[in-house]
Amino acid sequence: MGHTEPAWSRRDFLKTTGIAAAGLAAGPIIAACGGSPAANPTPATAGAIPKPRPGAQIRLLQWVSFVPAADDEIRRQAKEFSDANNVQVTIETVTGDQLQPKTAAAVEAGSGPDIIQMQYGWPHLYDTACMDVTDLVDMLKGKLGSVNQVNDAFSKVNGRYLAVPYCQVPNAWTYRTDLWQQAGLTNFFSTWDELASNGKQLKSKNLPPIAVSLGHAYGDAITMWYPVLWDFGGREVSSDGKHVTINSKETLDAVNWAVDLWKSGAISQNTLSWLDPDNNQAYHSGLITGTLNGASIYIKEVYTTATNHKFAPVTSNAAMPKGRQGASTLNLIFNHAVMKWSNEAETAKAFLLYLMDQTNYTKWLNASVGYNAGPFHALTNADVFQQDAKLKPFLDVVGAGKWPGWPAQPSKATAQSQVQFVIVDMFAKAVTSGDARSAISDAEQKLKRIYELPS
Amino acid sequence: MAASDVARPVRFRRSRRQVGERFRGRLFRVYIPVAIFTFVTLFPFYWMAITSIKSNSELLDHTKNPLFVLEPNLQNYIDLFTRTNFIRWTINSAVVAVLSTSISLVCSVLAGYSLARLRYRGASAIGWGVFVTYLVPPTLLFLPMAYVIAQLHLFNNYLSLILTYPTFLIPFCTWLLMGYFRGIPRELEEAALVDGASRVQAMVRVVIPLALPGILSAGMFAFTLSWGEFLYALVFMNDTVVKTVPVGVVNELIKGDEFFWGELMAAALLGSVPVALLYSFFVDYFVAGMTAGAVKG
Amino acid sequence: MASTTTPRASLGRLAGPRVRIFEHEARLGYLLLIPALLLLLVFVAYPFLFGIWLSITNSQIGVNGHFVGLANFQFEQGDSVFIQSFVNTVSYTGITTVLKLALGMVMALLLNQVFPAQRFVRAALLLPWIIPSVLSTLAWRWMFDPTFSVVNWVIIHSHLSATGVDWLGKTGTALTSLMIVNVWRGTPFYGIALLAGLQTIPVDLYEAARVDGASRWQQFRRITVPMLRPVLLVVLLLSTILTFGDFTLPYVLTNGAPFNSTHVLSTWAFAIGVGGGYISIGAAISLVLFPLLSAIVFGVMVVLRRQE
Repeated sequence: MGHTEPAWSRRDFLKTTGIAAAGLAAGPIIAACGGSPAANPTPATAGAIPKPRPGAQIRLLQWVSFVPAADDEIRRQAKEFSDANNVQVTIETVTGDQLQPKTAAAVEAGSGPDIIQMQYGWPHLYDTACMDVTDLVDMLKGKLGSVNQVNDAFSKVNGRYLAVPYCQVPNAWTYRTDLWQQAGLTNFFSTWDELASNGKQLKSKNLPPIAVSLGHAYGDAITMWYPVLWDFGGREVSSDGKHVTINSKETLDAVNWAVDLWKSGAISQNTLSWLDPDNNQAYHSGLITGTLNGASIYIKEVYTTATNHKFAPVTSNAAMPKGRQGASTLNLIFNHAVMKWSNEAETAKAFLLYLMDQTNYTKWLNASVGYNAGPFHALTNADVFQQDAKLKPFLDVVGAGKWPGWPAQPSKATAQSQVQFVIVDMFAKAVTSGDARSAISDAEQKLKRIYELPS
Repeated sequence: MAASDVARPVRFRRSRRQVGERFRGRLFRVYIPVAIFTFVTLFPFYWMAITSIKSNSELLDHTKNPLFVLEPNLQNYIDLFTRTNFIRWTINSAVVAVLSTSISLVCSVLAGYSLARLRYRGASAIGWGVFVTYLVPPTLLFLPMAYVIAQLHLFNNYLSLILTYPTFLIPFCTWLLMGYFRGIPRELEEAALVDGASRVQAMVRVVIPLALPGILSAGMFAFTLSWGEFLYALVFMNDTVVKTVPVGVVNELIKGDEFFWGELMAAALLGSVPVALLYSFFVDYFVAGMTAGAVKG
Repeated sequence: MASTTTPRASLGRLAGPRVRIFEHEARLGYLLLIPALLLLLVFVAYPFLFGIWLSITNSQIGVNGHFVGLANFQFEQGDSVFIQSFVNTVSYTGITTVLKLALGMVMALLLNQVFPAQRFVRAALLLPWIIPSVLSTLAWRWMFDPTFSVVNWVIIHSHLSATGVDWLGKTGTALTSLMIVNVWRGTPFYGIALLAGLQTIPVDLYEAARVDGASRWQQFRRITVPMLRPVLLVVLLLSTILTFGDFTLPYVLTNGAPFNSTHVLSTWAFAIGVGGGYISIGAAISLVLFPLLSAIVFGVMVVLRRQE
């Protein structure tokens, strides 16, 4: 599918006639509680620090965080900013997998929140709707240092920043130290092969298994199976993003490893329909020994009373293992885009600058209790990671982060492949049928339709 | 069907044909099947109720029997009312449902009368066209609709839902009412016309009162669909205080990695109670209305 | 407007019985249609036409494309998930409709009897249809949960199986779960509609048949079914159309898992169009059934109108 720029787009045509007819006629009748009156946008000079315009109203759309305290902190900062600058900043939250339909609708409609939290590679998907914020990011780089490669890859489209790097939700392993000991295991696995042997040992002692999602879990499924693929040397597509390279000996190794894992019971066979909350629930019920997840399991056991700290003393975390051909991790990535239709772009940018200020951001990181990590060099080490040594693995996984579609740059095609769960399904199909080759060629066919065909 | 029958809800005692049956016959042919139906239908509701009064630790405890509660508590309900905007969401849903139902009924009554009673060119085609709008799936419609809503500056405004819900309510209500109007004898109208009333007056004074049960059932159908609609409400309403019940519940009781099942189930129960109460009052009318309307088709 | 008796004016092309056509009847007719048509034109016709335009271009979200004819439809023919979704949609609709019809008929016959707590039962049996689909489907998801399923608990503890069923994790059982929830949700609608139809059948017909020696089954076949036909057609039509386009249930319960094998056309269109941004292909997938369904609607309309 190529980009096209019709000279006089249908949308522009409808806008002029449609707005004139319907919008103006309906406007006075409608008591708009949401539509803000258009304000004259303040022109921005390159390099100038964005200043909020008094009286402006902006909205920021983001997901509902697992840690309510983090959302509370954002809202508190929004209020602080609003009061100090005589503006109004509203934070809108929706559940993670509903963020995309809302964003898509806003982009199609050409109207909506001023700032949208872009997950994964959405800036590439919605590049026509995101404002160029390169100046703002350069300003932040000057203050906070370099940007993590994944946030960078996702925010930068054709060399320009279309989103301001915001944060990562690192995924690492959470496991039961008591069960580990009972199995006679001393160290947590540090390679994928060790995972296999550890898992088998757990099974031989009739202990609960290690479990990872093989279903369409928004976060948990891809954070596992993409790194497996990469660490065995498999690649979805070539670095130029043009040729599908999934059908290789390395991929076969990875898939065979997974099939063996499944057949031998080294991982739970119950996970084909697991969504993100399922491994959390299973862990808190004591039904699994370890899983790959964000810090939510650990936080819930240790920092909340929800489970009465049932497994708090025996819960620990560990970083991602290495493979024969690499050590990769994949985390959830969030960046903030200022949308082109926003009438208060300067205020929006000023607010983002405020959020990314080191003191403010650190407060938010600490409120998140390790659930989030920063994308800029200076923001990576919040106090919370120092205070709780068990949270450190979540920091360790940030450095080796990659993105779906790596080594190609994020694009609409990589986003399509991710949303269709092609890689995860490849593993899921292989383990259930036992046939690795047909699962791989099936994935290859799907990827070819996404990457190589013109339509 | 005589006009007097049409006006009253049908009483069920009329259909008694079991005089003289033996009890055992009834047991197997009526009581047991009814019990089975009721059990299967209501078991999920029982499950929702049980889940909503369980504490979190009991919920995730797989060793206990999940069908019973050992330590029931109302914490989930308390949290639902105090820590979320559930009451506001209920009010929002009610407002949107009532208004969109009203608009749909007005449009459907007028359109239904026109298509059923008046003869003019294209009536069949328009009737078909109105119904065909059902064939367009909302998953396709919602994106261009978002564009329209944006142009009208209606995002986050109740009107966005009140004006778009009738799109899936009007076709069926029109269809239903068409059938109902057809069932009302022309003589009654013609009598009014002969007496000097205009067509409009005849419609308002004669036809509509007779059609009231049908209008009521169309209204209940419309109310139910509005109440439960999800996609448009998700896309068009932003602030938490203007969300409707399905959207608010799903948005705020599923946080990242966690489903708050207890509260979710409490909300599911409370979110269907108002409509259930409505139905229990009007269920006789509902049935009677469906009768005449549907039979005449 | 005083009514005047105009000389009978035939409009030539209008077939059917001769009727007195008042000249202003047409004007009033069109006038009364305006509110409904206005709403439908703005909020359905326009988005629908836009949807058709999308399906014949190569647009993406936020990017206007140019005309590509039927390329999107041809492209989808090579998509194995699309074919699977098509098959799923047809079988999902077909099987659940048959089941809902049968169970609805039984439910209607039962509710037509007299028994204690009748009114309560009738209202209670409507509950699955009343509760917002999103919420009831979530409840079912919890009932089929891979780890905590209460259904599995019952199965295991009544020794029907040692491990229970992976309801949502295997294609066959996942599709079955979708159908179970759909039938649970939709049967009440059939039940009440058919009950209403049953109410209008004069009792004497049954009396007469019984006197003549007809069995219960013969009574059912010769009296009940024919008299219910109009109701049946309308209900079948509406339910079939709504089930073909059903989105919320499959989306919340499985969203295609395992490995995209339980998608129906609406959820797959949503994934490609909204999730992946290929909105034109999403539109094409959504519209695939439209010609077929239009034909069905037209056919039913013809049959119904002939019945008058």
